[in-house]
This record gives sequence, structure tokens and C-alpha cells, in this order.
Amino acid sequence: MNTAVTSKHQFAMVFDLNKCLGCQTCSVACKTQWTRGNGMDAMWWNIVNTIPGKGTPRNAFELGGGYKDGQPVPGELPGKAEWGEAWDFEYDKVFFRSADDDEDNRDYLRPRAHDGKPPRWGPNWDEDMGGGEYPNSYFFYLPLVCMNCEKPACLEACPRDTIYRRDEDGVILIDEERCHGYRFCAEACPYKRIYFNEQRAIAQKCISCFPRLEAGVAPACVRQCPGRARHVGYLDDPDSHISKLVNTWKVALPLRPDFGVKPRVFYVPPTMPLAFDENGDFDENQSRFPMEEMRKLFGADVEQALATVESEREKVAGGGQSELMDILISRNWNDMLGPYKQDPGKLVRPPRRGND
Amino acid sequence: MTNATLDARHSPANLEDILAPDGSAWNEMTGEVIALTPTPLDRQPSAYVQAAWKDRNHGAVAAVTVQAIRNDDTLALRLQWQAAQPKRSIDDINAYADACAVLFPANGKDTDLETMGSPERPVVAWHWRAGTDAPFSVTARGIGTVERSAEHQLQARSRWSDGRWQVVFARSLESDGLSLSGGTDIPIAFAVWCGAGSERAGLKSHSPEFHQLRIN
Ligand code: SF4
Ligand code: SF4
Repeated sequence: MNTAVTSKHQFAMVFDLNKCLGCQTCSVACKTQWTRGNGMDAMWWNIVNTIPGKGTPRNAFELGGGYKDGQPVPGELPGKAEWGEAWDFEYDKVFFRSADDDEDNRDYLRPRAHDGKPPRWGPNWDEDMGGGEYPNSYFFYLPLVCMNCEKPACLEACPRDTIYRRDEDGVILIDEERCHGYRFCAEACPYKRIYFNEQRAIAQKCISCFPRLEAGVAPACVRQCPGRARHVGYLDDPDSHISKLVNTWKVALPLRPDFGVKPRVFYVPPTMPLAFDENGDFDENQSRFPMEEMRKLFGADVEQALATVESEREKVAGGGQSELMDILISRNWNDMLGPYKQDPGKLVRPPRRGND
Repeated sequence: MTNATLDARHSPANLEDILAPDGSAWNEMTGEVIALTPTPLDRQPSAYVQAAWKDRNHGAVAAVTVQAIRNDDTLALRLQWQAAQPKRSIDDINAYADACAVLFPANGKDTDLETMGSPERPVVAWHWRAGTDAPFSVTARGIGTVERSAEHQLQARSRWSDGRWQVVFARSLESDGLSLSGGTDIPIAFAVWCGAGSERAGLKSHSPEFHQLRIN
């Protein structure tokens, strides 16, 4: 089996959840770049979910997969109703309706599922839900891509070695020519980051924009992020933002470490506002987001990570200096891009193909 | 389990008649009922698959009825099996289509069926999956090494009715692939996948040993 964990570099990302706006620019950047082909309409290789929420697909993190005590955990693969399908917005009706049509019955861009009915589920469906009771309501946004795991459950589940780890950077890729569409990988990925292309009967997922990486350009989701929430680089380079945030400052944590796949996307957990007590005053000891749930998402180190971010923040607020705050703020945006600073607009590119 | 010999008797029927899954050409041919068993789970080349199917049955189809026929230039096989809940296509992200396959040693003589061939003695198979137009020809040199290729000389037609699949494979006798020139018995094995049971890849029912195909 193709399970070697070694690669020349360890491509990794850090998403700063204190900066993510939930704007889905990353999702659309990815959609535009990669998932416009046949059978890819409903694919969101990058998706941002609201937490608390059920995720994409519904109950994404409760469907098994990954490892427990080193043994593979059986996973479920939900159907398209649970992932959410690509909606039709009735453009024809709205833009090409006759002038004689009933004025009182104007159409608008209503989403429709394939059966013509209003959608019943979709990506980030719980956008507006949040958790807690007013005034202690809370939520944050959680962007997801393929995590290029160090112990990739997808790769190890495939009975025919279709999934492989690139030697140069450890990016995990599916060989579409080899894939027979068995979908054990999709069951086994605990983050449910593998999509199935029904038309082509193959599995597809985030490719970390590897053709861009090869040209020194950061992934589309990273470059286009208006929140400047995404750092990219090599985990094995001690001077990288990634390594400093993960290893030196220990403020960037794996999502659901209990899944046992050792993901290479790390999250700076969100420092939530303080809770109000019954008198309407801040309760200095109580975050609005239940710490128990925070620990479930980011592991036992989350409290220390949050404390570090808060104390470094205070240091700077008091006029001091903080390397951590400098990295998280990244006044020069290019600093967030690690070895991938190339401006794609300045590349000499081959002419576009007709159907692109 | 007894080893069956499948007689491909000569028929004057033309290709279209032979390809018809319920065509009258097949009425005259005797059928062999081939017992199928689930593939052994410990041979699945993925720890995930072994763990996920540990407490779950596969190999739902217990038998396949097989007939063979030949005319001047074509050999055809008809496989029939019970499928009360057919899966006629991959119609959802978590749906798996019914399928069947016929396997031969690539050299027409011998190979290890249990391991799906070996680097020296590959297995060739004709593979049909519900919902696709064309069958494909497959070569395997061990478990997990299946390579598909389109074989123009290979055709398939299928029909489901009354709780039963009928699938006909037909290939011209003269073709680059497996030699069907006749005169000798060719070892032949069978596999069926039950889509409703999420069977795919190595999770299937198969005839664990070769039977013989005699092209008269
Ligand atoms: S583009 Fe950036 S800020 Fe917007 S949702 Fe994605 S990660 Fe968050
Ligand atoms: S996130 Fe999922 S798809 Fe990506 S490498 Fe890890 S297990 Fe595989």
C-alpha cells in the first residue's frame, strides 16, 4: 500500500477563525477554479460551515471514518439529499418573461431543487442558527478543505491504490484515471471531504490547487480570502508562519484530533466574547462558547491556545510587541503565502482552451 | 462444489438474436446453475474495508445460471440471477449498481483465481455494470490490480424483469484478447455484485473455483 508518510515538504495551512468572515469567497474561488465540470455542480471542495451546526454533509462529523486506537473506524456515506444539490434559480423565467405577464405574480430568483420544490438542505444550511440563549448567543465560521492528512484514512481505505501522497509536498491526490468509484475513501474520510461525481463515477476532492503550487502561486481559496484568514506554507520549515503558529506558539490546532488522521490544516480557535451573567454584566470566567464543545472540536490544548492568543493581544494593546500578533495580523499580506507568493497575474500563461 | 462444464453449442442464430437477453436462441441451450459464495473478507486489500464489513454481510447472490452459445464468429454467455431489488444505475452518491463479470485465465489455461491472477499469469474478465452502455474488459495481476480497457469486440445487453437479471456477453471468436479458438476447454469463473447491498470492488459473490467452458 502506498502509505509512506515521508515527503520532501509538508504542505500545510492555518485558518485563523478569529478572522474568518464566513463570506464563502474561498468556496466560490474554488468552485470557479475547479468544480465547473460535468457532474461537479454540487461539489464544494472548500466549504465554510457555521458552528454550531450540522455541517456539510448533514452531521458531517458524526458519520464515522478516521481511526480509533489505530484501527479504521467504519464510516457512512450520505446521499445527495444530505450533501445538498446544485439549485436551479429559474433564470429563464426571471430574465425572459413576457411583458404581459401578471405584474402581481413577478418571479424572482427562487432556488429550486431538481424536483422543482424549494431546497430542503444544502451546504452550510445552518448559517443563521447559532447556539446559546440571548444574550449569550454564539457562533463562528469553520472553513474546510482536504486536510492532506499525515495518516490519510482515504488513501488507506482504497483497495486499489488510487490515492497517493505527492513526494514534493505531501499533498494527497486521487488519480482520476485509476479511480473505479468504489467510494471507500469517501466513507473513511472523517471530515467528509470527498465528493462523488455521479456522471463520471469517480471520487473527487480538493487538490490544494497543486498546479498553482507548482507555479509558486498560493491556492485560490488562500489568495482570494478577504478576511486574510489563511496562512499557507511548509510545516517542516521552522521559520514559516505555519510552523510558528503550530509548533512555536501552539495556537493553531488540528480539527477533531480524535479522528486520528493527523490533519495538516490547523485552526486558530476563536476567542469568543465573555458571557453575560444574570445581572447583564460580563462574567470574566465564562466564555459564551461552551468550553466543552471547543475541546471536542480542537482537543485538550484549546484552552492554552486561547489563553496565549488573549495574553499576546493584551500585550500589544498595552503598547508591547508580539511576534504572534504580527504573524496573525500579517500587515504585509504576502507574508501569509509562504513559498507561494507568485502573483498569478504576472505569469505567462498558455492560451485558454475554448470551453474553459 | 461440483465443477461444471459449460457447452457452447453451435447455433445458426445471428448476433442480434444471440444478444437479446430473452431471445429464443437461448431457449434451446441447457443452463448450468453455478453456486456463488461471498469473497473472503480477509482477502480484501484494505484494512478499512475489512473493518467496515466485519459485521455486515456481502455476497448476497447465491447462484447464477449460465448458458453458452456460439455461431460462426461469436461466442456468447448469458448470466441470469435473482435480484428482487435491482439497482439499475448509480443514481445517488451512496448508490451502487448491480454488476456481473466472467473471468478467465489470460492464457486460456491456468491461473490462481483466489488471488485474481498474478503478475505472470493474469486474469482477464468481462465486466458489465447496470446503467452503462458498454461492458469493459479487465485485466488483473493480483487483488486490487484491476485495469479496465474498452474492448471493441466485446458487447453486452441486459434486461431485468420479474425479479431477475439477464445479461448477455458476446465477443467475436477472433479477437486480440483471450483466444476463443475452440478445441480445448477454457477455465471460466463468475462474479456478481448486489448493488442494493452496497457491493462493489472485492465485495461480491463469486464462484471460488474455475468451471470449464467448452467451445464446440
Ligand atoms: S474567504 Fe476567508 S474570510 Fe471568507 S469564508 Fe473563506 S476563509 Fe473565511
Ligand atoms: S481530509 Fe479526508 S480526503 Fe483529505 S487527506 Fe484527510 S482523510 Fe483524505
